[in-house]
Amino acid sequence: MSIWKYLFNIEERRNWWLRKMPDCPLRDYYEVPFPMLDTDWRQVDYLALDFETTGLDEEKDEILSLGYTTIRGHTLNLGDATHILAKPSGALPEASVIVHGIMDDQAASAQSLEEALPDLLYSLAGKAMLAHHAAIEYHFLSNACKRVYGYPFVGPVVDTLALEVRVFRNSNRSIRSGDLRLAAARDRYNLPRYPAHNALTDALAAGELFLAQVAHRRSKRSPTLRDVTVVS
Amino acid sequence: MEIELLEIRDFLAVHHPFDQLSDPFLTMLPEKLEIRYFRRNTSIPDSGSVNNYLYIVRSGAVELLGKENELLARLSEGDVFGYRASHRETQEKQRRGTAIEDTLVYQLSASDVDHLCDKNPQFAYFFGPAGSDLLKDVMTSSGQDPKTQVSLMTTPIKDLINRQPITISPSSTIRETALKMSEERVSSILVCAEGQLAGIVTDRDLRNRVVAEGLDYDIPITEIMTFNPTTVDESDFAFEAQLKMARKNVHHLPVVRGDKIMGMLTVTDITKHDTTSAVYLVNDIYKMDTVEQMQRISAKVPQLLQSLASADATANSAGHVITAITDAITNRLLQLAEEKLGPPPVAYAWLAAGSQARNEQTAKSDQDNCLLIDDSYDPSTHGQYFQDMSRLVCDGLDACGYIYCPGEMMATTDKWRQPLQTWKHYFNRWIDQPEPMALMLTCVFFDLRCVHGNINLFRELREYVLRKTRGNRIFLAHMVGNALTHQPPLGFFRNFVLIKGGEHDQTFDLKHTGIIPIVDLARVYALAAGSEAVNTQDRLAEVAEGGEVTADSARDLSDALEFICFLRIEHQARQIRNDQQPDNFMSPDDLSHFERNHLKDAFSVVRTMQNVLSQRYTR
Repeated sequence: MSIWKYLFNIEERRNWWLRKMPDCPLRDYYEVPFPMLDTDWRQVDYLALDFETTGLDEEKDEILSLGYTTIRGHTLNLGDATHILAKPSGALPEASVIVHGIMDDQAASAQSLEEALPDLLYSLAGKAMLAHHAAIEYHFLSNACKRVYGYPFVGPVVDTLALEVRVFRNSNRSIRSGDLRLAAARDRYNLPRYPAHNALTDALAAGELFLAQVAHRRSKRSPTLRDVTVVS
Repeated sequence: MEIELLEIRDFLAVHHPFDQLSDPFLTMLPEKLEIRYFRRNTSIPDSGSVNNYLYIVRSGAVELLGKENELLARLSEGDVFGYRASHRETQEKQRRGTAIEDTLVYQLSASDVDHLCDKNPQFAYFFGPAGSDLLKDVMTSSGQDPKTQVSLMTTPIKDLINRQPITISPSSTIRETALKMSEERVSSILVCAEGQLAGIVTDRDLRNRVVAEGLDYDIPITEIMTFNPTTVDESDFAFEAQLKMARKNVHHLPVVRGDKIMGMLTVTDITKHDTTSAVYLVNDIYKMDTVEQMQRISAKVPQLLQSLASADATANSAGHVITAITDAITNRLLQLAEEKLGPPPVAYAWLAAGSQARNEQTAKSDQDNCLLIDDSYDPSTHGQYFQDMSRLVCDGLDACGYIYCPGEMMATTDKWRQPLQTWKHYFNRWIDQPEPMALMLTCVFFDLRCVHGNINLFRELREYVLRKTRGNRIFLAHMVGNALTHQPPLGFFRNFVLIKGGEHDQTFDLKHTGIIPIVDLARVYALAAGSEAVNTQDRLAEVAEGGEVTADSARDLSDALEFICFLRIEHQARQIRNDQQPDNFMSPDDLSHFERNHLKDAFSVVRTMQNVLSQRYTR
């Protein structure tokens, strides 16, 4: 169907990259086995993740900030919550400054992506990545890995937006414009409103949305990781 | 690395008890939290004990159910439950929450709560072991106006004295001195020779040194006066005078400027400054000869209440002060009535009932009273006298703002103006054949206090009644039934008052949902124990360990009552300040988170004690 088809059998791909790759943080990441797809969802650890970027083109645009936190056993742990400002290579386009509220001088005091990636990859090891509209985060991360380490990023991905699409399809409701936005989706689950566009807040928001989505699944059987990942 | 959990920090910062945390702790708190989502109709927690965590409702709503599935509380955004959040340990160990809406909660581990409590005493108050201590602390810590203390420190004595010094020459006799003191209505007098202060004589001196010693009243005053008394300078601060009085154990200090005598400062001047003019108002009332004059004084009651509130008076003492005004007006009206109608043909006792009897009035209340007459009363010859007297007094009270009792529980009602024999007969019927409706109306007569007249009449009636009520289970069961008619709300839910059964209300009635239930409980305890106390706090103190209630529970109730009354006084003082009629209806919006939590606690104390009584008597 899309990029997600390509991710079929990610465990194979992990082994493939592991054989080829020299010692680096990305290799360390691949050293840890992915969670098994037929594991009960509560046994899996997730990293709720969000990037703020200068735009939506993963080839040209850059990551401005990263926010992530862990979900373990249907509990979101704020103790692991991390927010990193990433140093862009060029000046910030004005539009993204307005959207994200990240100023040039703030960004200048930030870490370079090379410095930030190892922490993120360490946190992701053994976990499933979780984001709202995860393709963005996935592609930006993979591109960053290619640029810094020369190899792409692969891993199991939970996309709360894709899960929300399923909810609409299962109940035969048509999706109107705006229905799938993070804030709109959270509203339907009676989740509080957060001011958007801070990477960590959005990561939390996606994490909470995920907890709500799983709690609202209709089937009696507890879902497995396969049921909630975007491999279709 | 920067942790950007501001959103969560800001949420906590505006919710009690987290608003009590100092900044560094507040900033560190979010990273200690875990977030859980509970679908509607699932229980919180889904496994383990509710005491493993403190739960903070972030969005949605949660109901707490008790052992027998009775609704204990309904919580919404910002409310907490779980570990240590309930102060009434034993009762609520069984508590488990149920999400009644899709709910997001923050949970904080028990050890983190303990750690925060250790480091933040203000925060720890909330998690105190007993509701009662907590309530006490609220009242001592809730930012009360330190104005009175400050003003005693900063007010010069010359602002407190308001009349020329009353003096007498050293050549006067004891009798002349006493006469002058009595004419001038003073409790002390200065003995002066050629403008120089020679000594001081007080009421106490006349008692101790003259009457008790059997001295001749015609010897010179210099024989018994205190030479060279301690003085204060008029520019000294009131506070220093107060200290001097305490140290020297005197109640009167001559005020001087240099060598010149300026006046007399009494302990009353200072107290009066403390609690405004309660004492003065009472004194003034006794000097009034018409109802119109008394009206002017009773019009000051709201101001009095306001200054009591800002002077940090306890609700119980404020009740005594305000009631003292009512008593004085009643007394004076009776004196005037006796002057007008002549001396009473037979002995009588004017009895206050209800809140006046209990010394629990606030800004203006209804009048509840009755007349107890000696058994030699003959309606045909004496009836008119007492009818006229009651009319004068009740009309006078009404004119002074103590409006006629809507239930006609007044001495003007023929039924409530009767000889002792008839009153005994009334009580016989109420106690021996209790009927719920009748009891509801007459329970006001189980709080009686003699304000004026022959106290022995009253004593006889009181003894008679208490002998009949003491341990009388059938009667008490009816009183308990009556005491349970007013139930405190369960708490607050969003901006609504949660009435039992889950109904909402916009405002709540502090009197009927908070104060009356405690008053009713204390009355049952007192009647069961045969206690003579009438004031609710006195009753609770007396009956502790008396069987109906444990010392701890009595203390809990007493603190709950004080807290609710304290809120009522603050509420009424606020209304008076805003030129509104004081009332008992409070909107939950007027309460801080802090007060809401503690009020919820006070309510839970009352509900617990109501349950105890109801189980003992109605099963």
